Amino acid sequence: MSKHENERKRTFLLITIPILALFICFNTIPLIRGALYSFTNSRGFGSHDWVGLRNYIDLFSDARVGKSYLFTIKLALVTTVVVNVLSLILALGLNSKIRAKGFFRGAYFLPNILGSLVVGYIFNYFFTYIIPALANMTGVTSLQSSILSSPNKAWIGVMIVCAWQAIAMNTIIYISGLQTVPEDVYEAGGLDGATGWKQFKHLTFPLIIPFFSINMVLCVKNFLMVFDQIIALTKGGPAQSTESISYLIYNNGMSGGQFGFQSANAVVFFIVIVVISVAQMKFSSSKEEQL
Amino acid sequence: MKKTSTVGKPNRTVMVLLILGLSTIIFPLYMTVVIAFKQPSEMTNSISGILSLPKVWSLQNFREAMEITDFWNSLKNSLLISVLTVGLSILLHSLMGYTLGRNKSSKFYNFVYLFIVSGMFVPFAILMMPLAKQTAEMGLANWFGVILLYVVFYMPMNIMLYSGYLTNIPLALEEAARVDGASTWLTYWKIIFPIMKPMHATVAVITALAVWNDVMTPLIIMAGSSENTLPLAQLNFQSQFGTNYNLAFASYLLSLIPILVFYLICQKQILNGVVNGAVK
Amino acid sequence: MKRKGLRSLALTVCLAALAPSVQGCGDASNGKIEVEIVQYKPEAANYFKTVEEAFNASHDNIHLTISSPNDAMAILKTRFIREDYPDIIGIGGDINYSYFVDANILADISGYEGINDINEGYLDIAEALELVPVDGTYILPYAANAAGVLYNREMFEEHGWQIPETWDELTALCDEIAAEGILPFYFGFKDTWTCLAPWNAMAVELAPADATKQVNKGLTNFTKEYGELSEKYLALLPYGPDDPFAYNYNDACTAFARGESAMYPIGSYAAPQILSVNPDLKMDSFVMPASDEKEGRTLNSGIDLGFCVTAECKNKEAAYEVLDFLYADENLQKYIDAQTSVPCKKGDFQLSSLLDGMTEFIESGNMTDYQDHYYPSEMSVDALLQTFLIEQDKDAFLKNFDTNWLRYNRDIIRMVQEYEAAH
Repeated sequence: MSKHENERKRTFLLITIPILALFICFNTIPLIRGALYSFTNSRGFGSHDWVGLRNYIDLFSDARVGKSYLFTIKLALVTTVVVNVLSLILALGLNSKIRAKGFFRGAYFLPNILGSLVVGYIFNYFFTYIIPALANMTGVTSLQSSILSSPNKAWIGVMIVCAWQAIAMNTIIYISGLQTVPEDVYEAGGLDGATGWKQFKHLTFPLIIPFFSINMVLCVKNFLMVFDQIIALTKGGPAQSTESISYLIYNNGMSGGQFGFQSANAVVFFIVIVVISVAQMKFSSSKEEQL
Repeated sequence: MKKTSTVGKPNRTVMVLLILGLSTIIFPLYMTVVIAFKQPSEMTNSISGILSLPKVWSLQNFREAMEITDFWNSLKNSLLISVLTVGLSILLHSLMGYTLGRNKSSKFYNFVYLFIVSGMFVPFAILMMPLAKQTAEMGLANWFGVILLYVVFYMPMNIMLYSGYLTNIPLALEEAARVDGASTWLTYWKIIFPIMKPMHATVAVITALAVWNDVMTPLIIMAGSSENTLPLAQLNFQSQFGTNYNLAFASYLLSLIPILVFYLICQKQILNGVVNGAVK
Repeated sequence: MKRKGLRSLALTVCLAALAPSVQGCGDASNGKIEVEIVQYKPEAANYFKTVEEAFNASHDNIHLTISSPNDAMAILKTRFIREDYPDIIGIGGDINYSYFVDANILADISGYEGINDINEGYLDIAEALELVPVDGTYILPYAANAAGVLYNREMFEEHGWQIPETWDELTALCDEIAAEGILPFYFGFKDTWTCLAPWNAMAVELAPADATKQVNKGLTNFTKEYGELSEKYLALLPYGPDDPFAYNYNDACTAFARGESAMYPIGSYAAPQILSVNPDLKMDSFVMPASDEKEGRTLNSGIDLGFCVTAECKNKEAAYEVLDFLYADENLQKYIDAQTSVPCKKGDFQLSSLLDGMTEFIESGNMTDYQDHYYPSEMSVDALLQTFLIEQDKDAFLKNFDTNWLRYNRDIIRMVQEYEAAH
C-alpha cells in the first residue's frame, strides 16, 4: 500500500510542478512586477519616480474611486442573485423532458456569443427608444425617459445586460452539474414521494452544490470585474454613476496617464476580490460538508 | 405523477415558459440580422424604421465585411488560437484539477488550489504592461505567446470546474484500478479522463468562447505584427467618430457561426457523459 | 496512454523553448530599409493603405509599412514599454503628445526641411503643448480639424435664417428656430466626449488659450476662467432635445442627418458619419460665437494628425523620405478630401465645402487650439462636464474642476514650477 501511496504522491507532484511553474511565470511574476508600479508615478512608459505609499494614501481619499467600489459591489451582488436564480431555473427547464432540446439550448446560448458592440448597440436602442415608446403608450411615467440617462437608474440597465449575457454560461455549468445527478437518486426519491420543489430542495440541489458555489464565485468575480458591458453601454456615465473599478483602472491607467495610481487601485481591488471569494468558498464548502 | 427528467411525456408548462423566455433572445437577434442587411442610409432613430425589413436582401454587407476583416485569414488565426488553447486547457487543466481535487486533505495542495484560483481575480489591467514586456523579452510576442497566456488565464476557472466535478466521482473507481496494479498516471488517463467528458465539453465551450471573443490579449501581445484575429479585425468597423454598424453587424453574425456550431457539438457531449449510478 | 500525456507536456515545453527562434526568422527584408508607421486614426486606414502601396511601388530602397490599428494609443504604449518603437508615429496634438515629448520618446526633427512648408500657426500650437518648453520640434502637423456648429443649409435657406456672429444673435436665432417648431440643436451627451465639443468651441473665445498653463503656474484658477463659459453652456441646453443624455453620438448624427434639428455643435470630423446616413444632406458650418464682439471670434482648430519620428528610429533619412511622400500636395489633398479636414501645410489646397463658413478664419490664421488638448484624459473632464450639465450646479462644478485639476496634474505642476524657478 505504501508503495502505491508513494507512487501516487510522486505522480501528483510531477503534475503540479510544471503547471504551477507556468502559472507563476505568466500570472504571479507579472502581478508582482505590476504591483511594483503602484509605488511609482509611472504613466506606463518613459521614466518614473518612486513615490512610496502616496498612491495608496490617495486611493483612500479619492471620492471617484470610492464611488466606483460602491457601484461595482452593488451591481455584482444584485446581478449575481438574478443570474443564479434565472440560470438555475433555465438549467432545470432545459434539462427536463422537452421537445427540441438542442434548439432551445442553442438559442439560449446565443446572448453569450454576440459581440459587445452588437449587444451595446441593441440594448442602447432598446433603452433609449423602445422602452420609452412603450411606456408612453401604456402611460408608465417612470419609464418614459431612457433609464441609461438617469444617474440613479443607469445601473439597472447595466445589470440587465450583464445578466442577459451571463445567464447562458451559468446555465451550462448548472446543466453539466445536473448531469452528475444519477437517475437512481430520482427514482429513489420518487418512491419516497418527493416531487417538484421538494425533490429539488432535498435531492437535486444538495448534489449540485459544488456547481452552485462555482457559479456564485464566478458570478461575483465576473461582475466585480465588469468592463465590456460598461464600455458598450454607458462608458461610465451618466454623471460618472456607472464607472466600474475595472473601467477606472483601464481607462485612467492604460488609456490615461495614471498608470502608477491605478496599479495601486488594482492591487487593492485584487485583495478585495480574493478576500470576498475565499470567504465565499469557505462558506460554501462548510455547507457542502453539512449536507 | 413523477416529475423526473427522463420518464414521462414532454413537459408542456416548461415548453411554454421556455418559448416565452426565448423572446428576449429572438428580438435582439432579429435586430442584428435586419441591421446586418441594411444600408447606412436606412438607419433611423424611429422604432418602425429600425424594425422594418431591409429594402433589398443583399449579401453585399457580408461580402464587404469579409473583405475588410480579411475574413479567411483572420478566421484561420482565430481558429488556430482557439483550438490549441482549448486542447491544451483540457489536457493540462484536467490533470491539475484532478491532482488538486484528489488531495483536498493536504495542506500543500490546498494552498496550491487557493493560490491558482486566486489568480482568477487579478485585474487584467495590472498584468497588461508587465506581460507585454515579459512576452517580448521571452520572444513570445506572437500567437504562441497568446495561447500560453490563455492557458494560464483560464487555468483558475477550469481547475475549479474540474475539481468540483470530481467531488461527485467516487474514489472507488480508481481504487479498483489500483488493485489491478495500474499506476496513478495510467488510471487517470484510462478511467478518470474519459469519465470527465461532460466537464471537458463544458470547459471547451467556456474556454473557446472566452478566447474567441477576446480582443485585449492579442491586441496587447501581438500588437505590431500583421496577423489579426477576427475580433481584432472587427475593431476596424468602429472608431470614436464613426461606426459602420451595418458592416459590423454582418461581420459579427459571420463570426458567430463557428462558435455556435462548436457549442452545439459540445453540448451533446455535456449530455452524453451522464455518470450513471456512479455516485456514493 | 501514459506516453500520450507525457508527450503533450513535453511538446508544450519544447514549443515554448522553440518559439523565440521561430519568430526570429520573420525580419528578412532583402536589403531594403524598413520604415514602419503606426498612426492612430483608424478611420483613415484606407487612405494610408493606398499611400503605402504607392510609396512601395515608387521606391526601391525603402519598404514602408503603415498600420492604422484601433486603440492605437494602447498599442503604442505597450510597444513603448517593451522598447519596440515604430519609426514614425502618427498621433494627435493632445496631452499624449505632451507626455511622449516629456518621456524623450520622440526625435527632434528641426533639421528636416519639410518643416518650412508647415503653417506656422500649427507649429506654434504644437510648441504650446510641451509641458515645459523644450528646444526643437517634435511633431510635423499634418491635418487639423475644426469644431463649431454644423447647420442644415437647406433649412436655413428655406427659412431665411442668418449665420449668427455674436452670442446674442445665436440665442436669438435659436429662439426663432424653436418658434417655428424646429429643434435648434441636437446633442449626443450620452457619449461624454461630445460634451467637450460645444465647450471647446466656446472656450476659445471666452477663456485664455493658455488657461491651463496659467493655472499650472499658479497664476489663476478655473473658477475664474471658466465661469462665463459654464453659464453660457447651460444656456444652450434648453435649445436641445428633452433628454440629451439619452442619445449618443451616433443617435445625434443620425437625427441631424434626418433633419430633426437645424444645427449640431460638433467638429468637422462628424461629417462622414452624418453623410453615411443621408448622403444628400446639404450642410455647412460656422464658428460658434460666444461673446458680443464679432471680432473676438476665433476658430477652434487643433492638430488632428501629425507625424513624429521616434528617437529610436535607425535611419532618419529614410524616415524623412517617407515624410516627403506623405506631405506631397496630391497625397495631403486626398487625405483632407477623405477626412474633411484642414491641411497643416501651406499651399493651395481645395477645402471641403463643409468648411465654407470657416474658410476666412483658416486663411487668416485666426485659430485657437482645443482646451481639452491640455486636459489629462484620466481627469475625465468630459464626464465632469456631463455631470455639470445634468446637475446644473455651476459653482460645484467649477470647484470640483479646480480641486481635480490640482490632484490629477500634481506631478506636472511640480515640474512646471521647478522649471519656472530655474528660468
